Amino acid sequence: MRDREVNSQDIGPEGFTGGLLEKEWAPCRHGCPVHADVRTYIEHAASGDLAGAIDVIREQLPFAAVCGRICHHPCEDNCRREEVDEPVAIREVKRFVAETQGAQGASLHPIGAPSGKKVAIIGAGPSGMSAALELAKYGHSPVVFDRDSVAGGIPATTIPAYRLPPDSVRMDVEWICAHGVELRLGVDIGNDVTIEHLLVSEGFDSVLIAAGLSFSRKLPIAGADHHRAYPVLDYLQTVKKGKRPDIGDDVVVIGAGDVAMDAARTSVRLGAENVKILCLENEEEIPAYEWELREAREEGVEVIQRRGPVRIKTDSKNAIIGLEARKVTRVFDEAGNFSPQYDDSDVVEVSADTVIFAIGQAPDPGYAAGSALEVDERGRISWNPDTCQTDIENIFACGEIVTPPGSVVEACESGKTAAKAIDSFLSGTKIDLGKEFPREIESLPERNAENIISRDRMPVPTLSPEKRKCSFSSFQSTYVPDVAVSEARRCMSCGGGAEVLIDKCSACLTCLRVCPFDAPVVTDVAEIASEGCQACGICEAECPSNAIVMKRYDRDCLKVKTKQAIDAGSDVVAYIGGFRASAAEWRGECGDELPGMAEIYLTATASVGVSDLLYAFEIGAKGVLVIPCSSGNDRYPMVAARTGRRVAQARKLLAESGIDASALLMAEAADEGRSAVVSILKDFMNNNSFQK
Amino acid sequence: MIVADRKPLDEIVNMLKPYENVLVLGCGACVSVCLSGGEKQARELAMQLNLRASNEGPGFHADFDCITRQCDREFTENLEKDPANFDAVLSIACGVGVGFMSELYPETPVLPGLNTTFYGANTAPGTWEEYCHGCGDCVLAWTGGICPIARCSKSLINGTCGGTHDGKCEVRDDLDCAWYMIYERLKQLGRLDEYRKMREPRDWGENRSGGPRRLTHEEVMELEEEVSNV
Repeated sequence: MRDREVNSQDIGPEGFTGGLLEKEWAPCRHGCPVHADVRTYIEHAASGDLAGAIDVIREQLPFAAVCGRICHHPCEDNCRREEVDEPVAIREVKRFVAETQGAQGASLHPIGAPSGKKVAIIGAGPSGMSAALELAKYGHSPVVFDRDSVAGGIPATTIPAYRLPPDSVRMDVEWICAHGVELRLGVDIGNDVTIEHLLVSEGFDSVLIAAGLSFSRKLPIAGADHHRAYPVLDYLQTVKKGKRPDIGDDVVVIGAGDVAMDAARTSVRLGAENVKILCLENEEEIPAYEWELREAREEGVEVIQRRGPVRIKTDSKNAIIGLEARKVTRVFDEAGNFSPQYDDSDVVEVSADTVIFAIGQAPDPGYAAGSALEVDERGRISWNPDTCQTDIENIFACGEIVTPPGSVVEACESGKTAAKAIDSFLSGTKIDLGKEFPREIESLPERNAENIISRDRMPVPTLSPEKRKCSFSSFQSTYVPDVAVSEARRCMSCGGGAEVLIDKCSACLTCLRVCPFDAPVVTDVAEIASEGCQACGICEAECPSNAIVMKRYDRDCLKVKTKQAIDAGSDVVAYIGGFRASAAEWRGECGDELPGMAEIYLTATASVGVSDLLYAFEIGAKGVLVIPCSSGNDRYPMVAARTGRRVAQARKLLAESGIDASALLMAEAADEGRSAVVSILKDFMNNNSFQK
Repeated sequence: MIVADRKPLDEIVNMLKPYENVLVLGCGACVSVCLSGGEKQARELAMQLNLRASNEGPGFHADFDCITRQCDREFTENLEKDPANFDAVLSIACGVGVGFMSELYPETPVLPGLNTTFYGANTAPGTWEEYCHGCGDCVLAWTGGICPIARCSKSLINGTCGGTHDGKCEVRDDLDCAWYMIYERLKQLGRLDEYRKMREPRDWGENRSGGPRRLTHEEVMELEEEVSNV
């Protein structure tokens, strides 16, 4: 018995194969904390369908625009394209899609029947807002409180505009609020109003604490209370509000995480001449993402490693004149725990007139004032990860206040999970947050990889360090449309490929013989593992037993499109390999489309079978054109050759049936640009007198 | 496996003239493998018939279906279309399938869409060649695995004949002489002694001249129901 056996009845009515996609997940989806269906939205983007793409993204990820800018993209780290050349630039494609579509360009999710239950959420950051969205979808009434005057949490108030402009956050918040999420900004829970009051007097059924980590930690060293020794969040928040903190020309940032990089690069943009990062870690241990560190260095930031601050030195006028730092002999102990040791005999003085502490954040437990919640000396509350509950059953918590520090997408996941727990609690059912995921598709076998055509990753337009140092504007622009679709077409459609219906397989070996990637294996029946399959569709089109379905499209989808075109009045159908085509061509928005001619764009003509070609004639087409890219220039190898064979076979069958075979033609031109394609379409129409 | 080749469409159209509502029935076995009679070919043939009919006026309609094998009655349970609802069934199985379906659906004419040609092997992608005749009395043991019944034009058992030249058969220049091949193969195997033996005339009774043949495996034949003695 095979562990992943599929029979013909498993594909459901009309040959719909969508359910099979949930049998296995690509590593990009597995790696994503919210398990966004990356393959599907990238595929929508590749065909120019940005409305479809944003809906798939937002299905799981409320902060699509924010994550398009600043996500740490575990999807890309997991991308199997790495085994061929470089990972697909998933985040950049997502940014393009999210920013092009905006808040109004995404569909709203359906809202459940009103439950009459109210939930107060403390904190309008990614976790609180994600929870609010989910609660609204469950039919509850979420109200989000935040002491700040803008919603969005750290992304809105703190992350520098050159990385994340306020518009991106607004886009996401606006879309979330459109689901009936109420915002009450400028309300400081625990100060203006207590949790008790919300529950007892305002009639909230539950409270969710999503307050995040809003205190910057400082070190207890001499001089730390100087007015030019800033906690990093205060510093960044001042700048994001458009104000200029008092800094000198010699800024030292203590710490080497991503927030430290933000502080250093912000200081560069404020005009500081010397900006240094001073950290305990060496190059390998630095916790910031590699690109953050690299970009900071490009902007002139100096990184002093393996030094721990001892004291901030001031002169007689109480101006900071330097920072004494001792040598670090180790940062972590043998077990990998943070346990720094120093050599006090080796102390240097680093010049400085401003110091920024970026050594981590802590919770501000102020929200708990006047409530029965118990807060420990570190500001933490007790929390059950299995139910997201605190020690009071109708008070829940999510986000960094209870989880390890993470990125926006991780906060979204935490918020969504808490919302699920609250929904169970409010509906009186047991909270069960157990998660089981489909099998993860494993790495690409070498014998399959060597047949995949290499494609360069599209570079992101980036300002030179000299230019970006002077501005808080975005230093990286989004892709232009044609570059975005080209990048999306690098996706290998992992998990969207062939599935063998074993009750129909004749073990005829045809799939094995036609696969350009050497993916099928035939024992008693054929097996095509998702590890090697590239989802080109060649085997599906050739299988004599119709025993292969493609998971990423329904078996008869091309026939359905053809029928729609004929029913809409077209006489002639052109099947065009869309690997080199623009988004406008895919969408039929070039403005030079010919009357009576339906252009149907496909990932590649590899999937067009003889029966698809005959079908067009059977339902009334007067002519059919097949236009693959020229040999070697298509998405997959051998497409033009395979397509040519099928067209020849179909012509033979047509001639036998009394249909003029010249009504079916193939031209390898889909890679030669729009004018070449239009010229072929026109010639075909004129030569065959199809025009009405 | 059994190799078959589709009949010319004109012949099929003529065959179907008396009927208006026809089921093209594919077979998922040998004829799928040799790309002549699978589900795909059944669909394509139905389309061709409909296209042809649409040129010649209304009335005719062809539908299609396919089962795993037309030579096993159990698979007919998987038919989505009931042959009884059609004027005729055009089977594109080998002759075995046509005959067997005829037997299973005595009320419905079952007509052949293929010519069953030989027992063959796939010698190259897209190419099948005859290797066996199904004569019922296999001689491959002393012919180096090369069948003189199937591959010698005269089915000789004491070859070669005078028509061999340069390893080819006098019947056609592109046809290898089976007995020349047998000689070379036995020489390679060091078994030319077999070649020197005079073979007795064959009993062709094991071939089809002895009437229809039957195979039985008693160990898997249906058991009679056990009767309780209590």
